[in-house]
Amino acid sequence: MEALNRLKFLRWSAVALLLVTGIFDLYYGNSFAGFYENLWYVMGGIYIFAALVIASNIEPHFSQLTVFAYTLFLWSLWATVALETGTGLDAVAYADKAVEAILAVNMVLLFRSSRISLNPR
Amino acid sequence: MTGSGFGKLSSAKLLAAAALIAISSGAVVSLSVGYVVHYSAPATRTFYLFDGTLPFSEPTFYNIPHDTFVPDTITVDKGDHVVIHYINIEDVSESHTFTMDLPYKFDATLYGNATQQGVVGTYPNVGNIVLSQGQNATITFTASWAGTFRYLCEFHQPTMTGYLVVIG
Repeated sequence: MEALNRLKFLRWSAVALLLVTGIFDLYYGNSFAGFYENLWYVMGGIYIFAALVIASNIEPHFSQLTVFAYTLFLWSLWATVALETGTGLDAVAYADKAVEAILAVNMVLLFRSSRISLNPR
Repeated sequence: MTGSGFGKLSSAKLLAAAALIAISSGAVVSLSVGYVVHYSAPATRTFYLFDGTLPFSEPTFYNIPHDTFVPDTITVDKGDHVVIHYINIEDVSESHTFTMDLPYKFDATLYGNATQQGVVGTYPNVGNIVLSQGQNATITFTASWAGTFRYLCEFHQPTMTGYLVVIG
């Protein structure tokens, strides 16, 4: 029972973090000009879609691993672009990436928990 | 799922593999895009703006103002931080405004003239400031919206109008 509760907590915290990150990305695309702002919209949209997938618990092992990989992919993308061009180095981007880092840890814990627990769906 | 190779691998191995693929592909994608696009980061663009006078007499031509902006076009890239030093160089007692079309607003610091020296006032997030003869202002904003936007003097329309061109 405790494991199930932990799994539910991790799943819903992941959903909340995904929504927060998605909204951050949409806000960034809307408010901060410069190259790549349309990509921020796409990234935000994918995060919100991912939140729905994780909330629905569809193919949890696959979707959780995919969201984890997507989070790291975007983190790496941002870090490389920032190092290369000096863009995306502002308070909103830092906040967004901080939440993304927490999300990645959350996804690791969720993935590990869901692999050893019953599917709570 | 559990019968596949995916299911047989341990969680740690799957996470490590996913992380490795994600991080390396993120770096490769951004480097590739950077190589193709040659993107440069937003910069600070500084301009000096003055009032000018066209060589005609206003009463002769239906009281159309002969005042203009010099320069009458400012071109920046989207995302640039724009700094405009606007100086009222009138040799008579005549005021001008610096007014911007929405959605643009700006922060302004107004400096005095020969009789009133130093900082006269600071105006955060405004769309309009008035400069008396001899005054100057430092106007700053970020070019967040692409397109063409007017900057104008409300007292001398329609001639005293300039255009901010933001390339997005």
